[in-house]
Amino acid sequence: MTTKTITVQRDVKAELRRQAEELRQHLGRQGTLVINVLSSPGAGKTSLLQATAEHWAGRHRMAVLVGDLETDRDAQRLAPHCPVEQLTTGGACHLEIPLVKQGLEKLSTADIDFLFIENVGNLVCPASHDLAEHVRVVLLSVTEGDDKPGKYPKMFRTSQALVISKTDLLPHVPFSVDAAIDDAHQIQPDLTVLPICSLSKDGIAQWCQFLEGQRHELLARTVIGESMVTT
Amino acid sequence: MHEMSLVRSLLRQVEDLLIEHGGESVSAIHVEMGPLSGVDRVLIELAFEQLVVTTFCADARLVIDEIPLSARCRDCQTEFNLEDFRFVCPQCDSQQVQITGGDEFRLLEVEIETADRCRASQEEKPCCEARA
Repeated sequence: MTTKTITVQRDVKAELRRQAEELRQHLGRQGTLVINVLSSPGAGKTSLLQATAEHWAGRHRMAVLVGDLETDRDAQRLAPHCPVEQLTTGGACHLEIPLVKQGLEKLSTADIDFLFIENVGNLVCPASHDLAEHVRVVLLSVTEGDDKPGKYPKMFRTSQALVISKTDLLPHVPFSVDAAIDDAHQIQPDLTVLPICSLSKDGIAQWCQFLEGQRHELLARTVIGESMVTT
Repeated sequence: MHEMSLVRSLLRQVEDLLIEHGGESVSAIHVEMGPLSGVDRVLIELAFEQLVVTTFCADARLVIDEIPLSARCRDCQTEFNLEDFRFVCPQCDSQQVQITGGDEFRLLEVEIETADRCRASQEEKPCCEARA
């Protein structure tokens, strides 16, 4: 027997990233902005998407791929507001691109302006998986504590926007918005910060404006043929 | 814990390389990880131990190279290692910092065993063709 060394030098997820890039470009070319929405469980992802759909009703077309370990409860909540497809991971703690592609076989996106991928509630593993998003958004609810960004650096480093949710509870919890923003900006200085309350609709208009701006930039980039990679 | 799916993917890639290069078995798999790779070393080792026995690589050992988180300042081009996750250039205090290493789980190289009798014709007729 002879030992042979094969040099590889590539990310283990290289093939998945290639698939994600291909899908990102495809959806971008048809004018669909893809938003990967991440947070810990219960931070208010579904409520935010519900409020977003209500805000945009009749003006922008959105659809949602919603990921959960089990049940289609979130899909049922969103179904009255927009097209939605439940992705059930069967116990896996995050979504991967093959499951997203399966979901898109059942969800028509041809005339969709904004496609949200509501990830499984988890601040760790989903940070490592590219789901073909143009924008990655992390939610941090005020009940979780303002020290979370530094504890989950990969999630905050790889996001473009930080949504601080449940701001109506601020008078009742020891959460400093300034401290949370400062901590997050140490990790990712370019993070756009958007405080919101989905129940009272405070901040929802600004959140929607942010996404409209992102889509506007996507359309401009697509027209001039630049790369749409997000890292 | 997504280490199981990552190790499953790693082993599938190694099996493909084994077949492609006409090997008999895999003796070592070298990987690299860093502080922002999003993987836990202990969980990777545990997942490897459980999954490797189900593959053509059953005899392989996993060699993990842990590297620091490294970066380059976009403003002054200084290259440095980050001791924590504060992305600030130690030279000019700029926050425009680009990560250059330690944020991926990378397959570096694979050591495979090839049968001597096949060496001359490896390119055309892999030893493990029957397995494939």
